[in-house]
Amino acid sequence: MAKELPGYGTINVPKERQVPFGAVTKAPVCTQQLFITSNWRVVRPVKDDEKCTRCLICYMSCPDACWIFKEEEDVMEWVSDFCKGCQICINECPSDALTAVPELDFPDGVVRLDKPF
Amino acid sequence: MAKVHEITVWARGVIMDKEGRDVINIFAEAAKMEGKHVQAFDNYEDLPDRVLVTVRKYVRLSDEEIEHKYVYGNDQPEVVVVIEATIVKGIDVLLGMKKGGTLIINTNRSIDSMLKFIPNANLLATIATVDADGITGVRTIDFSGSEGGVDTSGIGKGIAAPIVGAMAKVTGMIKKENLAKVVSDVSGMERGYKEVKIKKLG
Repeated sequence: MAKELPGYGTINVPKERQVPFGAVTKAPVCTQQLFITSNWRVVRPVKDDEKCTRCLICYMSCPDACWIFKEEEDVMEWVSDFCKGCQICINECPSDALTAVPELDFPDGVVRLDKPF
Repeated sequence: MAKVHEITVWARGVIMDKEGRDVINIFAEAAKMEGKHVQAFDNYEDLPDRVLVTVRKYVRLSDEEIEHKYVYGNDQPEVVVVIEATIVKGIDVLLGMKKGGTLIINTNRSIDSMLKFIPNANLLATIATVDADGITGVRTIDFSGSEGGVDTSGIGKGIAAPIVGAMAKVTGMIKKENLAKVVSDVSGMERGYKEVKIKKLG
């Protein structure tokens, strides 16, 4: 069943599939520039590519999707704008490839805002 | 109307919320003992308290009655206190400050290394650092859910004590003797008063 959705075009919903009450939307592919939370961070995770096994546990455990697997380069990429420094990835990393380093050791990496958040 | 001295305190949500609240309450209480008119209140416009989010607390002091009692925010802070040093990197803490202000940061890093993170440091006349974490050790974390209404741990334990001691010395707005009557951790407050590093900027 083809369904017209304003702003999203047409979405094909199979007849036998149960659709949740509410809406069918596309998965987000961009970042939300209105809610940059990098200034919540006190420490940042710093990765050691030698120790990293690309197990993707940091990717799975990050509540803010701040770890991206770059398939072409075969490395994990950290998204600095949205990492709040919760350290879940550091605790979950099975190969101790991540360490918490104080944010003030780095000259940049935090988006400077006028008002909180 | 007499001049109203505006003091803004920046802290991080939940883990340093009590410290920030203690700083404003102690400072206002000590100023009240000297016969000043005071106001002290939490923010009303920031995000609801979440762990690590930046939150503001405000104090106002004046020799006469403060008229603008329904304005919940300091537009032109004279003194800015930063309870967690990383905040200066992510937020323009000096927003609205007129030339000749004061900034007090809780850090064990050098004043010059902190100035690198403040692009509008030309507004400052005085910058001071106090290593409150080093003086009193761990922070007091209050998860009692009382929202400050009931506080069994006492007002001014943990890092709040050295910070108000440093504020008394740097600003000169309140006397140390009055602070000692309010603060639970008097020795921490006196160490903060003694160990604060002050730098005058041109």
